[in-house]
Amino acid sequence: MSVDDDATPHVPSVGADPQGFDGMVDDEADDPHEVLSEVDFDTELGIAMAEDAKRVSRGELTSDAYWEKYDEAAEAEFGDAYRETPNPAVDRGEQTISDEAAQSLGCSVGSMCDVAEQLDAEDADGDTPRWGMVIDLQKCVGCDSCTVACKAENRTPPGVSYNVVMEEERGEFPNVTRTNLPRPCMQCENPPCVQVCPVSATYKMDDGVVNIDYDRCIGCRYCMIGCPYGARYFDFGENYDDEVEGAGEITSPEYGVDRGKREAEAGKSPVGNVRKCSFCTHRLERGEEPACVETCIGDARNMGDLDDPDSEVAEMADSTRSFQLKEGEGTDPNVYYLE
Amino acid sequence: MATEHSLVRYDPGFVDGRLRAVWYGFLAVLLGVGGYAMWLRIDGGMATTNLTSTTPWGAWVAFYIYFVGLSAGAFLVSTLANVFELEGMHRVDRDALFAAIISMNVALLFVWADLGRMDRMYFPFLYRQFTSALSWEVHAYVAYIAVLVTELYLSMRIDLARVAERADGWRARFCGLLTLGRTDTSDAAAATDRTWLKRVGILGIPLAIFLVHGGTGVLFATAKARPYWNSGLFPIIFVISAVVSGTALVALLYVLRTHLFDGESTDPNLLGLLGSLMAGFVVVDVALTAIDALIALASLHPHEVETWNIVLFGEMSWSFWWFMVGLGWLFPLVVLSNRSWRRRPGPIAVAGLSIVIGIVAVRFNIVVPPQILPVMDGLPHGSYFPTAVEWLTSVGMIGVGLLMYTVGAEFLPLTPLERDHS
Repeated sequence: MSVDDDATPHVPSVGADPQGFDGMVDDEADDPHEVLSEVDFDTELGIAMAEDAKRVSRGELTSDAYWEKYDEAAEAEFGDAYRETPNPAVDRGEQTISDEAAQSLGCSVGSMCDVAEQLDAEDADGDTPRWGMVIDLQKCVGCDSCTVACKAENRTPPGVSYNVVMEEERGEFPNVTRTNLPRPCMQCENPPCVQVCPVSATYKMDDGVVNIDYDRCIGCRYCMIGCPYGARYFDFGENYDDEVEGAGEITSPEYGVDRGKREAEAGKSPVGNVRKCSFCTHRLERGEEPACVETCIGDARNMGDLDDPDSEVAEMADSTRSFQLKEGEGTDPNVYYLE
Repeated sequence: MATEHSLVRYDPGFVDGRLRAVWYGFLAVLLGVGGYAMWLRIDGGMATTNLTSTTPWGAWVAFYIYFVGLSAGAFLVSTLANVFELEGMHRVDRDALFAAIISMNVALLFVWADLGRMDRMYFPFLYRQFTSALSWEVHAYVAYIAVLVTELYLSMRIDLARVAERADGWRARFCGLLTLGRTDTSDAAAATDRTWLKRVGILGIPLAIFLVHGGTGVLFATAKARPYWNSGLFPIIFVISAVVSGTALVALLYVLRTHLFDGESTDPNLLGLLGSLMAGFVVVDVALTAIDALIALASLHPHEVETWNIVLFGEMSWSFWWFMVGLGWLFPLVVLSNRSWRRRPGPIAVAGLSIVIGIVAVRFNIVVPPQILPVMDGLPHGSYFPTAVEWLTSVGMIGVGLLMYTVGAEFLPLTPLERDHS
């Protein structure tokens, strides 16, 4: 190995021929015959379809021709499964085959988007979760990484922090205890902020999350007066531009709405609006946990469906250790703490 | 009856032309400075204020409830004349109504400046929330302004018609337009006006007390997260302090306009009546505030006790002791307790001005202190004093009100032409 005089860190050279890597990849690849022989369906058909699919991606064969060639054979082989499964080539966004060819196919369900929406709609009928969070104070070490993860995920400006960790020290030395109390938005069942908003810009969603419609909020800040948890923040239009170059380039698609670049000068929403934790609705919608839950090093934070009695959070919220903040307010938060 | 003589010299503007020039010059300065500050506020957004997420409401909200109170108070004084028919009060009826209209407009101007999104000011009329006091309030304000304008029209129409009929020049044409075509000056028409004035006034009283100003108190009192406001007595104190400031404003305007515009001398009986009313209302205001403080302190609720601690001994306690207690209560009570001073224009004007300024501190001490203490231990404490932009925009918006009043007082027959009418 050569020793570089230049002290900059670099990837050490292994002296291998890049062409040689291809061989390594081929060695690692599974034998298609072996893999397909393990399933009930026709091995030869599978291999032929895979080979032609490679030709489609190389541009040697059109998608139309490919599906014309295999539609009948696939329908005969896979039956109902083929007919009911959406064809990946048929899509509203970037459809790779012509409409005529798509119409003639045996798989009649429609595009992936339509199918996904249909599944969502079926979900909404009865099985919408009621999102809840349980924070185990015995596990919280007060590292504030939830606060940091939240700022990074939601791209909140200076002065806006959806999650904070409140610290309380009690007793006198040497008998001192310290409690760390993380405080996201409580997503109350009876939210005082919703009660006072004059334009209904903030409202409760079916999944229990309290939403803020940035396109409707007039910035009167009455909700901040009404919130007993101090969980709401006003966006004064400040930025991290001095600290980070291009700080406003990326914004978070809060509540599932992509608002593009932050434009504080132009006063574009959410500047001039009230903001708060949304339980990372945009992450929940794609099946991920909120950023604070995912990042918690002590695994103190838990997310789940409080309406499902078998869920972990529902069980924890039911335990004798469980309590809510300011229970006397009658707000009934969907954030529970374990003491 | 209106004499031909009083109409020939019908010219309700400034008696002294030099004073007029000085006054308009002063207003121009207020508007210029205020306009520049407003440009800074619109350009720089809410970052030009000293507001924070801990203390989200400040000077603009304090001035907003101040002017709503001034308006409701002045209106209730007007009803003493046109609904309760108190002897001698007709002299100040139109002044009170006109001041009430202008105060309400200034109040809405302050609300507008306070919105994070000023461009969405009309949204409360497109989208509503049944449970929001603020949503109800904005509608009540509009209805209330409609009542005030109708009342002023009914109170002033007969004199507008008289001026249109007997005077000449542009003033006659202007007043003719404002009669909206109802130019009958007969006794029967005057009686109809008075009947309807009384009816609309009766409608306006509950609107002003329960919805407009009581409702503004409710807006605060329903905020359970702020125990200092969350009291049943709170909306009542709102209404009483509104009546205090409204009476003081009307008394002040009566003295100033009679001397500077009408060039006449004030009526000692009317001064005495206004003075007694002011003193009485101040005593009730002091008593109710004391009761509210006692309830709060006796509750031993930490947030309430701490907030009162901030009011009485905190960083801004000077505003409580010097302005609220000193100018708002003690000084006017001392002045008004003297029977002969009560009947003289100077002391009445000074007491009125003192109250009008003192009640500003009352409003600030309502809005700010409960937002200094965080709603949860462990969250940051607030500290608030308005920025220059907040002060100067406020000066500008008050200037708008003063200009509207002055222009109105110069052109409208705010002083009844019939002096002996009761």
